[in-house]
Amino acid sequence: MHISEGILSPPVLIGGAVLSAAAVVQGLRELDDEDIPRAAVLTAAFFVASLIHVPVGFSSAHLILNGLLGIILGWAAFPAILVALLLQAVIFNFGGLTVLGVNTFILAVPAVLCRMLFVPVLRRSHTRTAFALVGALAGGLAVTLSGLLGAAAIAASGRGFRPVAGALLAVHLPVIITEALITAGIVSFLSRVKPGMLVRKKK
Amino acid sequence: MNASLFELKDVTFRYETDHPVLESVSFSILPGERIALTGINGSGKTTLLELMVGLNKPQRGTVTAFGRTRIEEEDFYEVRLRTGLLFQDPDDQLFSSTVAEDVAFGPFNLGWPRKRIMAAVRAILARLGLEGFEHRITHHLSYGERRLVCMATILVMEPEVLLLDEPTEGLDEHHREMLVALLKASPCAMLIASHDKALLDAVTNRSLRLENGRV
Amino acid sequence: MAHADPRLRVVTGFVLAMLLAVSQRFDTLLAGLALAAILYVAAELPTEPMRRRLVHLNIFMALLLPFLALHATPSEGAWLPALALSREGAMAALRIVIKGNAIVLVVSALISTMDTPTLGHTLAHLRVPDKLVHLFLFTVRYVEVLHMEYLRVMRGIRARGFRPRANRHTYRTISSLAGMLLVRSFDRSERVLAAMKCRGFRGKFFLLDYFHAARGDFVFGLVALAFAVTLAWMEWI
Repeated sequence: MHISEGILSPPVLIGGAVLSAAAVVQGLRELDDEDIPRAAVLTAAFFVASLIHVPVGFSSAHLILNGLLGIILGWAAFPAILVALLLQAVIFNFGGLTVLGVNTFILAVPAVLCRMLFVPVLRRSHTRTAFALVGALAGGLAVTLSGLLGAAAIAASGRGFRPVAGALLAVHLPVIITEALITAGIVSFLSRVKPGMLVRKKK
Repeated sequence: MNASLFELKDVTFRYETDHPVLESVSFSILPGERIALTGINGSGKTTLLELMVGLNKPQRGTVTAFGRTRIEEEDFYEVRLRTGLLFQDPDDQLFSSTVAEDVAFGPFNLGWPRKRIMAAVRAILARLGLEGFEHRITHHLSYGERRLVCMATILVMEPEVLLLDEPTEGLDEHHREMLVALLKASPCAMLIASHDKALLDAVTNRSLRLENGRV
Repeated sequence: MAHADPRLRVVTGFVLAMLLAVSQRFDTLLAGLALAAILYVAAELPTEPMRRRLVHLNIFMALLLPFLALHATPSEGAWLPALALSREGAMAALRIVIKGNAIVLVVSALISTMDTPTLGHTLAHLRVPDKLVHLFLFTVRYVEVLHMEYLRVMRGIRARGFRPRANRHTYRTISSLAGMLLVRSFDRSERVLAAMKCRGFRGKFFLLDYFHAARGDFVFGLVALAFAVTLAWMEWI
């Protein structure tokens, strides 16, 4: 749910930047120096994964996977998403710099939320179905929340924007469905191949 | 009457760098032929194999497979379902969580019914000495085991032509012998790129050498 | 301009972009757009990616803005009461279009022309937290590696006759592909860390690049400052 340059009002831009900055600091605190290679490689993996297109209906959507990123990285998802968005802006000229703070907030808040909500559940899950279900919920919820936050940012930027919020959410429905399905598949995959990625022992 | 399975005419290919990898390559594969493809590392063997199923497009020349000229991506779809390409690096080929899933992938693309797929998976794993491997996690297998699973993933599709890139590399003696026996008994036509002289002597009946083109 | 000190370019780009983002007056925005166009021409960027980016941006806006220009209830100065198109709304839309395009041009001209490792080093010199910079540089390093890996596995998948469709088989395949990429990345990162430890790594990173400000940079800086002040003055005085 990237918002492009020029649309958001100054208070929204600044508010988003400030909140994200604070959260990034928190995320960096949780990242030991030794964790940086792992976080970086995972960020790179998510960056590449977001280039994958999934056919849905008659068109295709590209993956976001912020819910999964949150589950795996926790608060470190904030700096990770910031880096990924910065890279996107600079390499692909996609997204934007002035909106970096807001976009980070929009994607990372649901990510961290997924960590808080779903990791305890994952710890107690045992069957493939359970894992898939949690994955679906995490994926769908993360993208829905991002959509809502994006719509809120736009709505807060001007009176005339309100009808757009509803339209944005409607347009995002196929994305929500694909994210739910794919995240379910990935969590199921990880539960079999490398469950330690999903649920780590507390330090 | 032209019954060739594959026919390459005057195929020239280069990557972005100027240096041509394949230059005016022409040959054909007839049913029952088993051809050894030799050449030093970097001579373009892998490129040639990939080109035959449309993963690379030649700058010049034509690729004819199963009687039709193949140019667009769409043309090669059928070719891939009837040709088994074994990649040199098993990690380029395996991507599913379990062995059974990876082996079943090809048959799914072929549109086989579930029951047939499950039976075929079990059968091919048995033939390769991998009984009971259905639920093993591919990521945790040894290099040699992964190579064999790759072999299973393409043999299960019952291809007419096999394009093999270093099939015996990394295999221990036991598995290697199994593979050689299996290839000898196979009805498929084959093009095998390999440094394994014993394999080539046992299995192949023709030879092509790549050196900037062909000799 | 490509030879200007990267720190200066980043700071300038950021300041100008932020100034434009908070500006509301049309004369400011138009001046900003003109400046952006000049910078863009001076930067001699390849046209194709730029064209694509601008098209992208403007399509996004074209979809969004009609909602803005049309109000639910027409206000006093409505032009076409039937369509609820109001002057206020149309002005707001126009403002956004100018602003968005100007910002994109400025950022592209000044910052996007930098290669990413340089950008990372620049950020470090601009006092961005160390950990974030290293996260950035490491990520840049591995995006290429992972992208290649993704392409290779994708070829393997296509070689067995896969065609993406909106069906369960496709979703399962994509899930496995993504999962495998993540797992391999995770393992790779452990190997990278192990290799670093073998060379004595204990948590501290080092950067090699350092920048020298040259005379041309002072000129550039002054000119940029003049532009920024002009824009700010137009907006607020």
